[in-house]
Amino acid sequence: MVEVKLHDIGEGMTEAIIIQYFVKKGDHVKADQPLVEIQTDKMTAEIPSPSSGVISAILIPEGQTVSVGTSLILLEGNEKTTPNKSKTSEEQVAVSAAVDYSQEQAKTLHQTSKSKRVLASPYTRKIARENGVDLALVTGTGPSGRIMDEDVYRFIEVKKGSGEQKEATSSHSVEKQLKNTTSPEQKSNEMVKETDENVIPFRGRRKQIAKKMSQSLYTIAHCTHFEEIDVSELIKLREELKENNLNISATAFFIKALSLSLKQYPIFNAKLDEENEVIRLEKEHHFGIAVDTEDGLIVPVIKNVESKSLRQIHDEAKLLTKKALENQLTSKELTGGTFTISNVGPLGGSIGATPIINYPEVALVAFHKTKKRPVVTENDEIAIRSMMNISMSFDHRVADGATAVQFTNYFMKLIENPKFMLVEMV
Amino acid sequence: MVVGELAHERDVVIIGGGPGGYNAAIRAAQLGLSVTLIEKDQLGGRCLNKGCIPSKVFTHASIKNAELKHLDELGISFSDSSFQLGKLQNYKAKVINQLRKGVESLCKAHKIEILKGKASFLSNDRIGVEANDSFEVYRFQHAVIATGGKLIPPKHIQIDHERILNAQSIFSIETIPKHLIVYGSDYIALEIAMSFNTFGSQVSFILDDEKEEFSFDSSINRELQRVMKKSKIKIYKNRKIIQATSTLENVTVELETNEGNRETLEGSHFFVSCKTKANIDELGIERLPINLTNKGFIEINQVGQTSIQNIYAIGDVTEGDALAVKAIKQGKVVAETIAGIDSEIDLTFIPTIVHSVPPIASVGLTEEEARKEYESINIGQFPLASNGYASILGQKDGFIKVISDAKNDLILGVHIIGAGAVELISSGVIGLENVARDEDIMFPLYPHPSINEGLLEAIEALKEKAIHKPPQKGTKVNLKSK
Repeated sequence: MVEVKLHDIGEGMTEAIIIQYFVKKGDHVKADQPLVEIQTDKMTAEIPSPSSGVISAILIPEGQTVSVGTSLILLEGNEKTTPNKSKTSEEQVAVSAAVDYSQEQAKTLHQTSKSKRVLASPYTRKIARENGVDLALVTGTGPSGRIMDEDVYRFIEVKKGSGEQKEATSSHSVEKQLKNTTSPEQKSNEMVKETDENVIPFRGRRKQIAKKMSQSLYTIAHCTHFEEIDVSELIKLREELKENNLNISATAFFIKALSLSLKQYPIFNAKLDEENEVIRLEKEHHFGIAVDTEDGLIVPVIKNVESKSLRQIHDEAKLLTKKALENQLTSKELTGGTFTISNVGPLGGSIGATPIINYPEVALVAFHKTKKRPVVTENDEIAIRSMMNISMSFDHRVADGATAVQFTNYFMKLIENPKFMLVEMV
Repeated sequence: MVVGELAHERDVVIIGGGPGGYNAAIRAAQLGLSVTLIEKDQLGGRCLNKGCIPSKVFTHASIKNAELKHLDELGISFSDSSFQLGKLQNYKAKVINQLRKGVESLCKAHKIEILKGKASFLSNDRIGVEANDSFEVYRFQHAVIATGGKLIPPKHIQIDHERILNAQSIFSIETIPKHLIVYGSDYIALEIAMSFNTFGSQVSFILDDEKEEFSFDSSINRELQRVMKKSKIKIYKNRKIIQATSTLENVTVELETNEGNRETLEGSHFFVSCKTKANIDELGIERLPINLTNKGFIEINQVGQTSIQNIYAIGDVTEGDALAVKAIKQGKVVAETIAGIDSEIDLTFIPTIVHSVPPIASVGLTEEEARKEYESINIGQFPLASNGYASILGQKDGFIKVISDAKNDLILGVHIIGAGAVELISSGVIGLENVARDEDIMFPLYPHPSINEGLLEAIEALKEKAIHKPPQKGTKVNLKSK
């Protein structure tokens, strides 16, 4: 028997949501055949079968969030086994018993053994009972895998969200009878019983985005300022390069110019560590690029922009955007950002915004649509120039408005006179 | 039987007024249900009248008796320190009477109807109660079977209640046995062996079922045997009983060793620790029928419900340890479930206690069980000889042992032999139920001086941080890295 576990498929990943299983109990599978689709903070991935065999049990229902190391599937292998050797046969019995738990009609007392310890305080257990939650199905996120009140509530939410009409797992009918009229779960199910067109599942990436956004907004003291930048010179330079078959996107220039600005004002490439009462300046510039996809916003990261050429940045940005649109980003490409940009210009519209910072970063810059506008030049003449607005949100706990203005001024200088960038290039 | 009888209507009928039954009755009454409790003998059941309570009167007396020597050390001396079993019997009767009255008045205060008589099911909603010449029929919404267990002596042994005694008869004994042979390994066997030992009996102890060891944690087993040896209680292991015969004067117990050698023990009395079976023979449940387990106990789920949905069972009629703590919990859960409250029975962390001299208390995994289930574990053990208050009490035997998961510091088990064990084990139970890790027990402040500090130091000893314990030879302690 092989336990297929949720393993860390990229740095920093701690938990994932089970999106869907491609297999069901009794299915024959080959080695490397995808078994289950999971979604972490910002990416989806498939977990392949470690060996060929028959699926003997699916341990965690779809829609549930589980932490790394949780067993998802039991596989009756007939080839080589995996390194996840289980310790004792007793334990396996315990696992499979937990699976059948909900189907079992009467779980008699004498089956309770010390090894089936419930890692939850009596108070939490009470909450679970009152909501008809079977703790055997809940993954604990507390210390040592302890099931916390929040885990139970989250489980209830997920269950509601997935629209499962499954009965609570109470195995005795009297309790069911007593509850049939009053079960809170049932009530809420009735409330959300609407037509399918009206309901958008609030799960997966949408829910992750919501979680991150509110965390950022509740934590960071957001402050946004706007600036307009004359990008005519940049456009000219790009055209010149194009004539020489060098196609470098404006975004690449923005990123490079921002990186150069961050060298002057490193406070915007930092992380606030409140617990230890320090602000950590990050030496490396890892740029997150916000990409709009069908499933919602996603932010792949270009690493070490400070030591990359414009061409490298251009190529990488292009590749990451493509991967983002095709939902092929790996966890590595999605984590570790220190600064984020959002180029909403190509989408048309918008002359300003108040972007939400990608927590725990300190700042984010959004680039808006470039438009030809009449501009008064230094010589008091009106000229037609290509103008672009930017919005910069920064963490006012970490930096002040004056520094932020100096930062965008420096950036403006580099973009308005791209040649200046040469001076700073390494 | 009355024909065409009119049945009385009742919400909840509870059969058996032992600890399980009366706890269920009071909890149900607290929750607004009308409750009828049927008892054929006396309220309080075996626990109060023949079991836990009488045995603790004896162990209490033996603990006091064992302290006499120490009292002399303290300058308190008695010219005549004889022990009179008769007086203890009177005291026992007084305590039992008091406690029983207490239960009766509580039931009265909760307006619980108490019916004297023998109950038997007529159908799954009717029960007959037979008392003297009358036979009344009651129709119930819910019934709780709490009729307890019956003691079953081992094969080849006939309990005559004169020379060969079981747990129900030994506490009514009128003379102190000259030589008491004890057969068993559970708490009752140990309590009896230790009690009569302090009362002056010579005691021989035969481990039952050909056991090689007691079934506590291995460290407790060792300490227990050391203490027993010190008290001159001889232990016989790996022995099978061939037969036990009694005369008016004495008892002869024939044993066979693993190697097939025969030996004979002669004593004045022979105490036999018994297994229990469900007391359901005359209950009429075969008429319903209610499902039984392989071992013949009533099958229940985690709220105490039987295979018939409005009938519940609690206590010794259900499988598992025949302990009042189990029955009490089940009684409450069953009452709550009937009242529509979500409740649950989980006996994972049921404490095992022995009121021996010194007492033993244990909860959670033993070292041996923990090694099987966890990759690596830590053991913290603290001898009571190093606890200041134990020295004052003059009770330095024993230790406190704690087991944790080395990976995440989760406490897995607490085992105590020594002064205060029974009271102190509650800290372990609460810790385990609350998923405590070492720091959760190490952080709180402990009353000083007290035995409680022994638990603290045992937890500290998990990482060699116990103050009153010298570092192990050859190990260099680096607390920072831990």
